[in-house]
Amino acid sequence: MQPKLAAKARCSDGEVGKISKVILDPLSREISHVVVCEYSGQRMDRQVPVSQIQEVPNEEEIVLRCSVAEFGQFPVLDRDCYVTIHDLEIAHLEDNLHVEPGEILVPYPRLEQGIPRRSFFANMTHAIGALIALPLVYPVLKFVMKPMYRPFDNEWFSVGNVNKIKKENIGYQFKFRRGFKEVFMPEQQIEKNIWVVKATPEVRKAVYEGKDKKFHDEKGDIVWVNKANSPYIGFSGKCPHLGCGYKWRRTKNYPDGVFLCPCHLSLYDEAGKVVDGPAPRALDVLPMEVNAAGEVKIIDIEYKAGIEKQIRLL
Amino acid sequence: MSGHQDPMNEPNVFEKVVDFVDERVGLKTLQAKMLNEPVPGGSRWAYAFGSVLLFIFILQVVTGILLMFYYVPSTDHAYASTQYIIHEVDYGWFLLSYHFWGSSAMVVMVFAHMSQVFLWGAYKKPRELVWLVGLALFGIVMGFGFTGYLLPWDQRAFWATVVGVEIMDKTPLIGDFMARFLKGGPTPGQMTISRFFVIHVMVLPAALMGLAGLHIFLFRKAGPAGPFRGTPEELKAKTDYFFPRQIWKDIVAMASVFLIICSLAFIEPVVLLEEATPDPGDYHPEPEWYFLFLFQLLRLKIFGGELGQLMGALVLPGAFMGLLAVLPFIDTSPERNIFKRPASLIGWILVMLMILVFTVSAIINRDFLD
Repeated sequence: MQPKLAAKARCSDGEVGKISKVILDPLSREISHVVVCEYSGQRMDRQVPVSQIQEVPNEEEIVLRCSVAEFGQFPVLDRDCYVTIHDLEIAHLEDNLHVEPGEILVPYPRLEQGIPRRSFFANMTHAIGALIALPLVYPVLKFVMKPMYRPFDNEWFSVGNVNKIKKENIGYQFKFRRGFKEVFMPEQQIEKNIWVVKATPEVRKAVYEGKDKKFHDEKGDIVWVNKANSPYIGFSGKCPHLGCGYKWRRTKNYPDGVFLCPCHLSLYDEAGKVVDGPAPRALDVLPMEVNAAGEVKIIDIEYKAGIEKQIRLL
Repeated sequence: MSGHQDPMNEPNVFEKVVDFVDERVGLKTLQAKMLNEPVPGGSRWAYAFGSVLLFIFILQVVTGILLMFYYVPSTDHAYASTQYIIHEVDYGWFLLSYHFWGSSAMVVMVFAHMSQVFLWGAYKKPRELVWLVGLALFGIVMGFGFTGYLLPWDQRAFWATVVGVEIMDKTPLIGDFMARFLKGGPTPGQMTISRFFVIHVMVLPAALMGLAGLHIFLFRKAGPAGPFRGTPEELKAKTDYFFPRQIWKDIVAMASVFLIICSLAFIEPVVLLEEATPDPGDYHPEPEWYFLFLFQLLRLKIFGGELGQLMGALVLPGAFMGLLAVLPFIDTSPERNIFKRPASLIGWILVMLMILVFTVSAIINRDFLD
């Protein structure tokens, strides 16, 4: 049904008026009413539901189901209750609307009538844009990457003395301070911590599986070897799940104590093995040396969290 | 451009994605409306300045964001972090120098753009609001230059800011407040860097983006003015759309400006002076070159003393900006041909000469100081 503006409206028993407006339903986006300006009387605009239209025999007229007398019963349009489609923004409102006499056309300027040249210009424009943008990609990447990769630091830090460890197979926290120099900032002292366990032979076996553990620098050269039979084992303070700081806690299920990460509840036993929770690998063993006086020294290594393999970051 | 599709070819994935978005957003209509803007009398190189300004601004945003990856706005670290960008970070010297020369290019382009609009009489009815918003944008560009100049926190930066803020301080009624507001106290220091930084990287960019959007919106509402000569038939015959010929000229102009700025960054990279300190030492304070003429103006005897200084530093520039603002409302004659507006032509030449003479004399004056 596409009633045309100014089409005549005819009832079963005679012509009553002309379509002067159409009303769109904003939800269904369909025409809901036609407004017929009546010929007789005060030339009222009457609101006729689309369902009352019987047929549209040609573009110039519509036929209503009602009689002339019944037409007079349709409500008069209250113009103040409506806005035009130019005054509001409802997506696709006009999509079902084809009441205008056709498309309104504007001729292309004479200079614009060669389509091939338009695409040639488009391609050239893109090419120059690329010539501006592409040379910037590499410098910009290098610029932002400057501090992202730095050589490993294999410095030894003294973290305390083993005489504070009273019992075997229990986690003891050792805090230490280290210098940290970042780009243009002056060197800062930052506080870090590691966990040390005095391990029984069984626990040692669980950690080292009878083999010495080697630590490498970025070139693959060995910087330190932890002997498989040394009783003290140091774990990096960073949870290998997602990098939180974990604690040694006694729980109901583990009355002797267990390493517990408060973030995602990863649990590790005294050998650093995962006993519960989401962690993908055991706690990271640090290169550690305990001298005759019992002083503990470590290399401050950090590994990437969240993966099964150990990938060194620091 | 046309939505024509060969019925033999199924649309590929990219076309399907474009159609999916288009169906929901109306991208093609939007693109068509943006590109098919008739340019009366046809495209010209003279119309490229506005687009070039937008291009320079976008690259200032890009380089500015990158600089913020390292820059620290504090009196302790501003100088060290800028030196780090120049000397340590890969291509840092280039991005900083590009940002520096880009700001000069922006000022040059603003002058070119305003001159073109003035000489073409394009500020006249119905484009008064485009002109007014443009003046506000001019002020913002100057504000960018002024606030950005301090950030490296070297001697040049420090002293240009000291003098600039002292000038502002002389504004009647609000001057003292404005100067304290900018300095964040009675003397320049950490608060000054913080404030200049936040104005430079947040306030002015937001203002510029909003006003530039309004500027373009108003310009599109009014339509391009076109040339000031020619019969309607001649104009109609030469008319084309914004795309492709004007966009082509725009992008060629952008590429040229880009090459010029890059060349300047290579030939004359930014070198910092000593770190800022309240003792100028051997350094002769001087503002950025586009403020030099104003700076030189204040050396004239007639602008000496409290009253003279007020006249030179504030009343004269203020009156000039005021005159520009009311220009479309007092110059109501529809004549746009610059050769039939002798007062406008002479006025423009005089202003340009004045700027040139005072800038050159400021440069000559350097010899007397050394």
